[in-house]
Amino acid sequence: MSEEDEDQAPPKRPRATPPPDQVLDNVLETVLQFLAAPRDRSAASLVCRSWHRAESATRVSLAVRNILAASPARAARRFPNAHHILLKGRPRFADFNLLPPGWAGSAFRPWAAAFASAAFPALRSLSLKRITVTDDDLDLLARSLPPSFRELSFLLCDGFSSRGLASIASHCRGLRVLDVVDCEMNEEDDEVSDWVAAFPPGPTNLESLCFECFTPQVPFAALEALVARSPRLRRLGVNQHVSLGQLRRLMALTPHLTHLGTGAFRPGDGAEDEGLDLGQILTAFSSAGRANTLVSLSGFRDLAPEYLLTIATVAAANLTSLDLSYAPVTPDQFLPFIAQCRNLETLWVLDSVRDEGLDAMASFCKKLQFLRVLPLDAHEDADELVSEIGLAAISEGCRGLRSILYFCQRMTNAAVITMSQNCPELKVFRLCIMGRHQPDHMTGEPMDEGFGAIVRNCSKLTRLSTSGRLTDRAFEYIGKYGKSVRTLSVAFAGDGDLALQHLLQGCSKLEKLEIRDCPFGDAGLLSGMHHFYNMRFVWMSGCNLTLQGCKEVARRLPRMVVELVNSQPESERTDGVDILYMYRSLEGPREDVPPFVKIL
Amino acid sequence: MAAEDLKKMITLKSSDGEEFKVEEAVAMELQTIRHMIEDECADNEIPLPNVNSKILSKVIEYCNKHVHAAKPVADGASALSPAEDLKNWDAEFVKVDQATLFDLSLAANYLDIKALLDLTCQTIADMIKGKTPEEIRRTFNIKNDFTAEEEDEIRRENQWAFE
Repeated sequence: MSEEDEDQAPPKRPRATPPPDQVLDNVLETVLQFLAAPRDRSAASLVCRSWHRAESATRVSLAVRNILAASPARAARRFPNAHHILLKGRPRFADFNLLPPGWAGSAFRPWAAAFASAAFPALRSLSLKRITVTDDDLDLLARSLPPSFRELSFLLCDGFSSRGLASIASHCRGLRVLDVVDCEMNEEDDEVSDWVAAFPPGPTNLESLCFECFTPQVPFAALEALVARSPRLRRLGVNQHVSLGQLRRLMALTPHLTHLGTGAFRPGDGAEDEGLDLGQILTAFSSAGRANTLVSLSGFRDLAPEYLLTIATVAAANLTSLDLSYAPVTPDQFLPFIAQCRNLETLWVLDSVRDEGLDAMASFCKKLQFLRVLPLDAHEDADELVSEIGLAAISEGCRGLRSILYFCQRMTNAAVITMSQNCPELKVFRLCIMGRHQPDHMTGEPMDEGFGAIVRNCSKLTRLSTSGRLTDRAFEYIGKYGKSVRTLSVAFAGDGDLALQHLLQGCSKLEKLEIRDCPFGDAGLLSGMHHFYNMRFVWMSGCNLTLQGCKEVARRLPRMVVELVNSQPESERTDGVDILYMYRSLEGPREDVPPFVKIL
Repeated sequence: MAAEDLKKMITLKSSDGEEFKVEEAVAMELQTIRHMIEDECADNEIPLPNVNSKILSKVIEYCNKHVHAAKPVADGASALSPAEDLKNWDAEFVKVDQATLFDLSLAANYLDIKALLDLTCQTIADMIKGKTPEEIRRTFNIKNDFTAEEEDEIRRENQWAFE
């Protein structure tokens, strides 16, 4: 630099590159491909117009968690390049028969039509949860989905039958995943389609095939032939009609399985089971390095317990996931198996294992993160098989627990408090004391302090289900300390409106609220007006709401869809509100509304 | 000198006139150059008017490292595998100021060097993670050109339907 330059202002050099906000535009789409988390994607879409365009163009995973909140046209306009689409439909309480069938039977139709008209030309995978899908929908999809389409999974869906599955099997050539989980399919016994045989001949690309919930029998020869020509199969879940002998044959064809749904797990009467013995099953589970590849077992739909013991020494050590929720095993049958499961992270089990079984599990399964203890007999007055003893034992042994669903007849505050102290990683705490309004059975106190301790001590808690006798105090605690709670489920609890007010005014992150049979009225409901637009939905059934109160909500929140559902369509209800289900929608109220639903 | 030292050299010339001699194998990492070499329309001197010397020298440093890392040298000096070593080296390489990072990503885009493009873009993406829109704007000096209504509409669409 010369002396003259230093005297003047520095000359404006031509920039080698444009200013930052334009620089990024050239590589923005590549940058955004590395952004996956939904909240990051949302944030990026709000930065400026060019970012919004780039984010929309590069979003590959699209989740519409309430199918009634947005139309497929809107979704396709904004995210035309979606590869994976997740759609969720009914609210969860529908699982307990609280919502009459046909509540939103045709919600999926416009989406099927959109997929058929190539609104999402890059579509590879579709996941549906709690949605009614008809055989005609599946037929339409099967015939018009792009060749890139690979994965179809149904969870808690209904409305279709084997005929629809047969359409999918025969037309979706590149299919890699077909998972039908916990679905209620319509089957006329004499009209069952052999969808397994509908897969075209020649090798398939199947990596995952699950049909554990499929109630009719699947012809075994066709199943065996299909599995034999599916060299990439890693996950196989068969239904309860597949016997142990048949399972053995299928396993011989699938040496690389990682996830196995075992069907009946009992010898049957057919040719495949002749001469079946424990040694053969031991071999099936130990040969071809299977002990090192198999990580997940489920099924056991008609378990012959001696076979479970047989595979304990070879199959258990590598397992990270075990679902025994269809196997009513006793502690004696459970202990030797669970003792080998040192790497278990996920366990679903029936309370038939008793406190004893849970205690043993807690001493062996130190890596456990996700636990469900489900009731053998889901009635208020059933035998007490597990109690606070089991819960306390779990908390002592499984310090890394993240999620628990625990059914019992009775509980104590002390055990719940102990869990809150021992398990700081808890994100999900769902306690289901089956006796309504049951207090702490040792002290006679309400269960307020237990749940209070959970929200106070478990700072990562995002999901909470309460039960037992609870006063307004429990809700005061939840409102005060449950600042990260997003999903809340309340049944038969509280003293009055104040409880609901505590929740709606305290839980600032609340998104999903399901309430049944609580003494909450209009005043409680109206205390949440400031927050409802931040929530995905509110469900209140069997409470003390009136038409007046619900109309007030609808009037003040015009973009909220406020549905009043009559849970017994046969009988005219004139007094009070039966079910209130309200949710935000960008499209306004839906048009196909059954007679038992009134939209305010 | 051993035979391998007599490698064919290519000269790359930056926008500000500086010349960089690189091995042909290294120059081939730049796909735009590779095509020119393979199509035999490259002289031994190639001008790169979109890349200045500061950035070009870094790009060459990156390509040099990656070309030679492909042939592991067993010198027992590192406890890590060659792949881990390279990963650590990459992590250090992108610890630069924001302007340089952007310039590197642009250069990688223009010169078609996929691995460097992915590395720089991943690093930029990491700067976006966990931030609110306003924080992202501040980080990258971006002006918000939405109207208030537009922004509300998008926010609503995000929260109500697509999150």
